[in-house]
Amino acid sequence: MIKKTILQTQNLFDNYGQLNGDNDILHYDDKFAKDRGFRGTLGHGLMYTAYVSDVAAKKYGKAWHYKGQLQVKFIAPVCPGDQLTVQIDETGEAECSSQFGKTLVGKALLRE
Amino acid sequence: MTRPSEIKPREDEQKAALFADWIIGDEFPPLTFTITPDIVEEYFSVVNADKVNYLIDGRQAAPPNVIAVYLMAVMYRKYPPQQGGIMIGNTFNFYHPIWADETTEITGTGRLTNKYEKKGRKYICYTVNFHRTDGVHLTSIDHTSAFPN
Repeated sequence: MIKKTILQTQNLFDNYGQLNGDNDILHYDDKFAKDRGFRGTLGHGLMYTAYVSDVAAKKYGKAWHYKGQLQVKFIAPVCPGDQLTVQIDETGEAECSSQFGKTLVGKALLRE
Repeated sequence: MTRPSEIKPREDEQKAALFADWIIGDEFPPLTFTITPDIVEEYFSVVNADKVNYLIDGRQAAPPNVIAVYLMAVMYRKYPPQQGGIMIGNTFNFYHPIWADETTEITGTGRLTNKYEKKGRKYICYTVNFHRTDGVHLTSIDHTSAFPN
């Protein structure tokens, strides 16, 4: 099992959005997000894809760049204050989870 | 250097595409851009990536998913975004490294593969392929998002 933990902050969401060019206010406007039923602003899905890919790169090394396949499904939002743990097990099963439960499931494998 | 914000239509800048506007099978216009060492460096920072995980035979590669910051630009240039979109899932296939120490010119192409409604949400699915302009295939991405309208 390989894992890493990253505390989620609004600053992380803002920095990713500044690079990504994402202006969806779900990521930045706390009131808008709460009015839609979320605990707060939402982290960028592709940021979490990147977290999983980073752990996969550590697991697979060079082969990840040539034969890597990453499937992710977002199952719950991630908000500021969440302590997010990213992990990939021996079989390539990937998961992100916070103190509120699983937020992402997927697989990180090498193609044949 | 092409910053994604330079080529990606932003929410509220243009009249947003609605669910009814999406046409399954519709192809997105090719989008050519460059990823520079500056972009790679910023990407390492914003996704908390560990550089040592991306050393290939002693050469620094970028996280292959750095290309993801350009993904939605390919689609949004055809279908401008609306507020409140939620990402549902992605499948990435990586085929070749993107090097961190050089500028890479890339073209993204893609098409809308499906749309459907489920439990009041409107889903769109699309695929994007990224090739270096010299023809080397870098990445393919299948993506699903849900939108309120």
